[in-house]
Amino acid sequence: MNVTKICKGVKLGYHRTNKFKTTTMSLNIVAPLDSKTSEKALIIHLLARTTKAHPAVFEMNRALAKLYGAIISPSVTKSGEALVLSLNLVCLDDRFTLDSSPITEECIRLLLSCLFEPDITPDGFRKENVEREKRLLLQKLESEKDDKRIYALGRMFEEMCKDEAYSLNKLGTKEGIEKADGKSLFEEWKKLLFTCPIQINYIGRKSEQEITDIVKPYFEKLERKSIIDVTTEFLTESYGVNTVTEKQSVKQGKLVIGYRAGMTYSMDNYAALKVMTAIFGSGTFSKLFMNVREKMSLCYYCSASLINSKGVIAVQSGVETENAKKALDAIDHELDEVRNGNFTDETLEQAKLALCDTLHSVEDAADEVDSWFKAYCASGEFFTPDEISLLIKKVSREEIVVAASMVTKDTVFILESNGEESKDE
Amino acid sequence: MNKKYIKNDLLSDGYYEIDHDSGLKIFVMEKPEYTGAFAMFGTKYGSIDTCFRLENEKDFTCVPEGIAHFLEHKLFESEELDAFELFAKTGANANAFTSFDRTCYLFSCSSNFEKSLEILLDFVKKPYFTEQTVQKEQGIIGQEIRMYQDDPDWQTLFNLLRGLYKNNPVRIDIAGTIESIAEINAKLLYGCYNTFYNLSNMALAVAGNVSAEKVLEIADRVLPKEKKVSFEQIIPTEDESVVTAYTEEKLGVDITKFALGFKESHSTPLRTPKELACMNLALGIIAGKVSGLYCRLLEEGLINQSFGTEYFTGRGFAVPIFTGESNDPKKVRDEIILEIKRLRENGVTDEDFETVRKRRYGLEVLGFNETENLANALIDSYFGNFGLFDTVEAYKTVTKEEVEETLRTHFDENNCCLSVVK
Repeated sequence: MNVTKICKGVKLGYHRTNKFKTTTMSLNIVAPLDSKTSEKALIIHLLARTTKAHPAVFEMNRALAKLYGAIISPSVTKSGEALVLSLNLVCLDDRFTLDSSPITEECIRLLLSCLFEPDITPDGFRKENVEREKRLLLQKLESEKDDKRIYALGRMFEEMCKDEAYSLNKLGTKEGIEKADGKSLFEEWKKLLFTCPIQINYIGRKSEQEITDIVKPYFEKLERKSIIDVTTEFLTESYGVNTVTEKQSVKQGKLVIGYRAGMTYSMDNYAALKVMTAIFGSGTFSKLFMNVREKMSLCYYCSASLINSKGVIAVQSGVETENAKKALDAIDHELDEVRNGNFTDETLEQAKLALCDTLHSVEDAADEVDSWFKAYCASGEFFTPDEISLLIKKVSREEIVVAASMVTKDTVFILESNGEESKDE
Repeated sequence: MNKKYIKNDLLSDGYYEIDHDSGLKIFVMEKPEYTGAFAMFGTKYGSIDTCFRLENEKDFTCVPEGIAHFLEHKLFESEELDAFELFAKTGANANAFTSFDRTCYLFSCSSNFEKSLEILLDFVKKPYFTEQTVQKEQGIIGQEIRMYQDDPDWQTLFNLLRGLYKNNPVRIDIAGTIESIAEINAKLLYGCYNTFYNLSNMALAVAGNVSAEKVLEIADRVLPKEKKVSFEQIIPTEDESVVTAYTEEKLGVDITKFALGFKESHSTPLRTPKELACMNLALGIIAGKVSGLYCRLLEEGLINQSFGTEYFTGRGFAVPIFTGESNDPKKVRDEIILEIKRLRENGVTDEDFETVRKRRYGLEVLGFNETENLANALIDSYFGNFGLFDTVEAYKTVTKEEVEETLRTHFDENNCCLSVVK
């Protein structure tokens, strides 16, 4: 796995392998998370749906089906305060087509045409396409609220980062989506294309040179001049705990806690914090699993995760509303235990072993490799799983205690059941 | 011990199928180019197995709903270190799941494979429950049940199954209810365990950077030779008609979810690979992404990208299902039924058939990439009574006429149910 620059503001994440029966490729635009997020999210969905050569959904879907069910899908991810807008391709490797016809290059060109050759009219993106995508994205945004786990996590960050761009939803807002039109999206598309850092990821059998030869001309034609810098604000500590409670007609309540991890950039003290978070609450050997779930029997899930791209830690749990306070105290207690060094050497070794085991299998799944590349595409650095695993192995007990002492609780979000059981009809 | 190698030229893949002396069926797919491995140890026992007796028993035992899932949770415990603690020493990532017709225990790892496999085979074969540990689990599983009660997709599916089936236990929620799991005790758990966790009712599948030789060496060491246990089950009879053609629940979701299912009758409990392929192609032709209907409904705003189709099938149940989100699910249902009628009358065009077939074949091959999928597919095909490569092969040989026949003989619009969650 390696990342190289191929032309101004364009990088290639490349991993050569013949173990998969597929080619995986993604085009990733790194844009700022800001008031134009709705437009950006709309654009990436629009681009993935049709192209100039295949202007109707039916035609595009047929073209993909004939390429043995090749999949081109859009995705939007937050990487700190960068919005990573991706067009993702998965297609069959040439060795496995029924009539032995090669399809990979055609699939790659179709992917590139999504970004570079969209269906444009003199008024920008075609009106009916824009209206369709607006409706679909609005429904996606609404549908997110129905997954209470995602909803509660999103609400916690909205409260915790209310003065930071990170509070914004990656799909934008209802108002933002509603007011977008073909023209505004066209302007935003040009901005993305001409000014944003872009990374192409490729996982498959073609050589790095072959891939570069295919993609480079598309970017060189653009003559990109100035490329923007997309940065993330890191707040190292919390100044007091804010608790927010909301009531809904749910059967199970949710408890989400946000912490500042004391980081000043995404790789700051990363390895120690990663192991610390694992001991605290990721995995079945962790304090949260062993105590809050297994011993206290309070919940089915209770886990912690480090989001290093923003320097925060989130704990998520599903609990009965009447047990929320008890769970909160128990979680506080377990973090104190880590801060006080009250964990065995065995647990420390187990945490490292589990983390390294996962790292070593990244290359066994093409989408994992792609996600790995994506996680770094907004930052200037790149580390391979092996490099991270070496850092993890070196972490000492003292470093974990220090890392834990830098972690400060910032926001508690509790979704309570209002006791009104919804009735069946 | 009987060991054979089954290979497929089209996919250039192969696997060993072994009848182990212990009575266990073992599958190994060697993938030396991978770093890690994935192992799955499963039993043909799930939420639908609710009434049974051993060969030598007089009376049938009918157990509380959700007991197979409860048993899955409890097997992780032992008198000394529980299974999670043991896996923590190897670094493997272990888990388990219970579905309608199976319970599977699994792990993935990139090192210490041998030790982890030993743990897997050992803990599943060593049950240990007491009344105390049973009680503790009621709290955890109670929360799992509550979590699913808030999941609109889950509720949409189960309301559909309850709308289709009167007696078939597939209508029961996999985890049971807070009330039903309160009735579970150690004795009942042992009863289920002794009936269904006999090695002759189980299978082990391993895929990844492992050798069949090593897997067998561990199986030889850990698994005792077991006498086959025979049991009988009461399968409730089910007629062709549905319980209700429409069911609606109010969960307060922001966007209405729906599932439309067509009840099927069964002369045999399992569908063949050819039947599965025909149905999947039929679903693709009616409302798949490349169908005219899908694209039109999408453009008209009647469905969104969450729309999908599935042949929901397992031991003793089979339902073609259309799911999605819509402001007018009844209209979507009517459009689907109209399209089926149209296809029956006009037939399927050669182009539609070829396009959908190529797409389905491609998607099928995509499933052969990851060790997790491979181990899962090996168990799935064995429990489904066919070979791993049979489905891919079925897409190669299936004809348009066979798919047209499926369209004619399935999808009885008089026996379908629309489940809506608002």
